Formats: sequence, C-alpha cells, structure tokens
Amino acid sequence: MSSSWLENNTFHFADFADLDRLVSEKERRELTISLCLPTLNEEKTIAKEIIIMKSELMTRYPLLDEIVVIDSGSTDNTMEIAASFGADVYEADQILPSLEKFKGKGENLWKSLFVTKGDIIVYLDADIKNIHHRFAYALVGPLLLHEHLKYAKAFYDRPIAIGKSKVRPTGGGRVTELVIRPMFSLFFPELTQIFQPLSGEYAGYREVFEKVPFPIGYGVETSLILDIHEKWGLDVIAQVDLEKRVHKNQNIKALGKMAFVILDTFLKRIENLGFIDLKKKMYNEMIQYNLVKNEYKADILQIGGIERPPMIEIPEYRHKFSITGKPPGRQKQAMPESSDA
Amino acid sequence: MFTAPVGAGAATIGLTSAPVLIYLYSPGVLMDAYLDNLPTYVDRIQAIKETILTNIVLIGQIPAPTFKEKNRSVAFLDRLAEFQVDECTTDGYRNPIGVIRGTDDSKPPIFVVAHLDTFFPKDVDHNFKIKKDSITGAGLTDNSIGVGVLVSLPEIFRQLDLRFESDIVLAGVIQSIGKGNLRGVRHLVKTWPTPIRGAVCIEGVELGRLSYYADGMIRCEAQCTIPAASSMEYKFRPNAILVLNEIINQILTLRLPQRPRCRVIIGQISGGIKHGVIPFDASLGLEIQGDSDRMVKAIFNEVKDIVDGIRHEYEVDLDLKTISNLNAARLRYNHPLVKKTFAIMQKLDLRPVSGHSESELSIFLSRKIPAVTLGITRGVNYHLANARLKIHPMFTGIAQIVGVIQAIDSGVCDE
Repeated sequence: MSSSWLENNTFHFADFADLDRLVSEKERRELTISLCLPTLNEEKTIAKEIIIMKSELMTRYPLLDEIVVIDSGSTDNTMEIAASFGADVYEADQILPSLEKFKGKGENLWKSLFVTKGDIIVYLDADIKNIHHRFAYALVGPLLLHEHLKYAKAFYDRPIAIGKSKVRPTGGGRVTELVIRPMFSLFFPELTQIFQPLSGEYAGYREVFEKVPFPIGYGVETSLILDIHEKWGLDVIAQVDLEKRVHKNQNIKALGKMAFVILDTFLKRIENLGFIDLKKKMYNEMIQYNLVKNEYKADILQIGGIERPPMIEIPEYRHKFSITGKPPGRQKQAMPESSDA
Repeated sequence: MFTAPVGAGAATIGLTSAPVLIYLYSPGVLMDAYLDNLPTYVDRIQAIKETILTNIVLIGQIPAPTFKEKNRSVAFLDRLAEFQVDECTTDGYRNPIGVIRGTDDSKPPIFVVAHLDTFFPKDVDHNFKIKKDSITGAGLTDNSIGVGVLVSLPEIFRQLDLRFESDIVLAGVIQSIGKGNLRGVRHLVKTWPTPIRGAVCIEGVELGRLSYYADGMIRCEAQCTIPAASSMEYKFRPNAILVLNEIINQILTLRLPQRPRCRVIIGQISGGIKHGVIPFDASLGLEIQGDSDRMVKAIFNEVKDIVDGIRHEYEVDLDLKTISNLNAARLRYNHPLVKKTFAIMQKLDLRPVSGHSESELSIFLSRKIPAVTLGITRGVNYHLANARLKIHPMFTGIAQIVGVIQAIDSGVCDE
C-alpha cells in the first residue's frame, strides 16, 4: 500500500482559511455550492449551524449559494426554526412524491440532489455542537483548489506525532474501529488511510453524487466511499482534519444497529465486486435483547438494506437538470477510471 | 462627525457624477437627526443578526474563567481583524483591543468595553443552543453576549453607514470579575496615553438598565480553618461553619446608617466534607457596599474587629482577606451623557431603570471619564449554566449602544 495518498490527499482546515481565494476560485470556475443539512429532531443545534454558515459563508464570503435542510419527519421544531433563520426547508417525503417513501439519512441526502442547485454539495450532520464555518469551507477547499479531487471527507483527530516519541492515537469512533477498519483492512487496505470513513461531513461534486446509489440509512457513508473508490479511484478522494467535533454520543445498542446496516452495505458491495460468494441470502433483521421484568425479550428491527438508484437514472431529475441521452447503466464509467480503482 | 442616513439637515450637491450628501452641521440638529433615525437602526441591525449571533457563539463558546481568558482573547482579536478593524492589538496587560480610526485626530477616543471573563470553569459545557428567539448557555449573561456584540460593532457601524470623529476603542477587558478585581480595565484606563472622551460599558442584561454611578465597595472573604494536627487537643472540636455563622450573627447586629446609604451582603458560604463530619474549614464571602468610601471602610473595620474577636475567643485560624475594592463615583443625574442616554432609550421605547454598577463603569467614573453601563437584552436564569436570553430585544439593546456612542461623538461629554 502506497502512503503517497495519505501525504498528498490529507489536509488541515487551516490550509483553506483564505476564504477570498476560495471565493475567487469558485467564481473563476463558475461553480455553485449548496450546503445540505439532513435533520431529524435537531432543534437544539440546527439554528446555530444555519446562522454561522449563513453569516460567514454567504453574507461575508459568498462561498455558499444556498442552505438546504432535508427533514425526515421531525416531531420537534426543527423545521420551523430552520426556516426562521432563512434555510430552504423540505420534508423528504414531499420531494419526488411519486416514489415510494423511505426514512433515513441516506434518503435525505439522495433527495437533496433533486432540490439543490449546486455543482458542489456539502453535507453536514445537523447535530454538531461546536459548529464552525470551517466544517464547510475546509471540505469545499480541496475541491476548489485541486481540480482532480471530487470528494472530500472530514476527520477530527490529528494524526501527528507530538514531540519525538509521543504519538496520539487517531481513528474514528467505535463502529469505525470495530467494524469498518477491520473490513477495509481485509478487503481494501488502501482505504484504511481514510481515518474516519463514517464521519457525517463531506463534500463532493454533483457529477459524482448523481452517479452512485444511496442506501437510505446509515450505510450511505460506507457506500459512497466504496462506490467512488470503485468508479474513480482513491486519488479523487481527499480528507480534511477539522480538529474537534462535539456531538451527541450514541448508546451501544444504537451503534449495533448502525454496524448492522454498514456490514449489510459492505457485504453486498464486496459480493458484487466478486470478493466473496454468499451462498445464501442475508437476513434483514437486527436482533438485540432487553431484560424486561426478569425476562429476556428480543428487540427486532427490520432494516431493509434498501438503496436508491443513482439519481441520474430518475426521469424527473433528468428533466429538471435538462440531462439528455440515455440514462447511464450502473456499471458504466462516467469519469476516467484511476489506476487505484 | 459621523455620517448619518438621510434625514433632517441633509442636502445634496452635484459636483461629481454621483450626488454627494452633506450635512449642515449643527450639534443640536445633528443630535435630533440621529435620535429620529434611531428606531430605524433596530431593523437594520437585525438584518445582520446572523453575524451578531455568530460572534456571540464563536467567542462565547470558548471558556474564559477569570485569569484564563487567553483563548477567548485570541478569538476576540481574530474576529476584529476579520472585520478589518484598523488596529488590533493587546495592551501591556494583554487586554485585547481594536481601534476604529476616527475622522478627527484632535478628538479623544471613545471606549466601548465588555469584560471577557465569566464565572464558569472550563469543564462546564459552553456550547450554546439557539432557538427561534432565544439563546441558551453558560456565561451568556455575564458577559458573552456583551463580548459578542462588542466584536460585532465594526460590522454594525458598516451596516448603518456610520463613521465617527473620535477613534472608537473596542476593548475586551480581562480579569474583571471576582478576584480579578477589574485589573484589566484598571490597567487599560490608567496607561492609556491620551485623554478619554467617554465610555460605554456593555453588559448582557438587562435591557433598560442605565447605570451611571458606582458604589464604593469592599469585597472580602473570611476563611476559617481548624488545624488538623491540633484536633486531638479539642474535647469538642470547633465547627468551622458554626464559627462563620457566629461572624454572620455579629454582622447582623451592626447598626448601619441610612445616610450615607450602605449595606453588607453575605453572598457566599462554603465548607465541609459530608453530613456527619464536623467541617474543618469553611469560607464566607461578603461585600460591603455604600455611596461613601469612608463609611464602607468604617464598616469593613467593624467586620474585621468581629473576625479578630472570634479568632481570639474560639482559638481557630480565621482570616479576613480583601479580594477587591472600588471607590464610589458617579455622574450627576443631569449630566448631559445621562440625559442624552435617557432620551435615546425613550426614543427606542425603553424605560430606563437606574442602578449602581460594580463593573468597569466605576474605573472610568473614578478617573472622571463620563461613562454609562447598558444592558443588551432580557431573559431568565441569568447566573446559571442554562441562562436563556431573548434574541429579538437584543437589536434594540444594540441600537441604544450605537446611539450613546453617537451622542458622545457629537460632544455631550465635552463640557
């Protein structure tokens, strides 16, 4: 495994702090940029994200052209608050209403492709407590300043040596270290260089996002990396150190469900790629147990593993964005394939 | 002279391709012109609410307990620099300062100050929550909202198309509260090389307050310690909390005069380990306030005598330490700055409520620099970690601050 990717494609947010330069590069290349915040009951944090992004990256530096909130059906005041601070707010179910309706973060991201206008789309989780505009500009920065990069992903720990002998451990959360990293190590060792493949903050070109399928739930981060890597290679991917991120912690059962979905996504992809040959269809139920009044009771969650097709295959999308010609097939390469693929 | 929006006293001439707006300058006319315009400021300030809230969040979320304000201070200067303030620097005491250059070198500067430090230690969650019309979090009231607004002033002036004759000095002073004893602002004012034209001190709450006088004050702490080594010598070990209780009882017997007005506030008590163990140390925080420095000092001496007496009689380690002190100082009610501030607040439909202040105000007033303290907004849980402040009234609060700066710039303090 070559370490050149790690050296060449890993950035720090401070590398992109010159916002005037980013804006001028955006204007020179006549690009538009959308920020999308997928939400489900995020009334405690959504306003802060919108306010800071709007102030710093729209009013003061015209880097973003729109802020779009895609909501999965919040029961709190998320949508009202987001709208009151000037975001364009959509209920996911109301987008492409003729299609079957699903709930999930991946579904929101996929549908955002239909309602946003940007050539570049930045996705940020809406639960970041210490939100700062670097979360957006630092992800857009590599894409604007390095034309070969098409997809930039956030990480938060600093993988640097402190002094001569002290090294701070780096990496992701529990699901990353217990599920994704072992799987990457087994099948795609070069992808282990992506420190936090599950981070919810990334940016990419529309021309990339519209050509890959989106799992409707937690599997979306995994699938994006695997699919982009497969279609265009590792060299189009960058990662950016955003330093500290504070967000709500999930309990182990919630992480278990997340791990289930990610494994489901991962196994299906490596089967399609011919790495493994599953002799039997996988089950689609995550089974956990609770102790209720001295009795163990199964807590079964059906997780369908449903995926949306590449958006470019959706007729309404092709019509809206005036895309002509036949929809590309799933296997067709839309961009030159890299030697890493 | 500041350039005001179109209003009374304006005329246009057409010597250049674009019409030029000039003002027929007369201080009285000008004052009236901007007073009339003040209500329109509120909406124009609200138009950049995202920037103001962003400053409150980006600076206020950095913990800044007294003596540990460095990170917040750096962020304060960074933001001022981003807003292209003419000079961003620190003074000899590391108070971060931004100077917006005025149009008339001969006019002394106007100071706008807010203290950077808060009561909350670093390990308290400082991440704020914003809802439709409220912002919640630790330290907002005292004084993260004030600091955020202070940093936003360059952008607010730009939004209102305002320029001033005087330099505007934006100072986030450090080491202000508690044991900080206003060290930052004391140093800033003491070492500033020129006269100061006037000052506005910004506090988070409460909108409508107008402080133009500061009481004399001595803040002190009584610390009682029962030496552990000698505890065997006691048949009945003294109880540190009860010793302090005796001090309180004796203070309550003091006869305080109604004139000069003065009072003793027992503000803090702490001590002990757990319910069933006699406490071997405890502390009592109290403040003596009054409008006569002499009387405050006399009462302090009485409290000191009480402490000395109890130390002797109870045979315990008992100290009374002075943490901070202020001299009484005030502007007259009919001082032009006070009168004009009243007018500004009334123009904005605010009902001015007068009260004393123990903050930066007293340092300016004691040096004969006209100054007022103003609050920005309203809310609940002011001194708790979940202080919740309203967003909407904030824009009126900011408009009054801008109005007072304009008043000082137009000469109300120059008599």
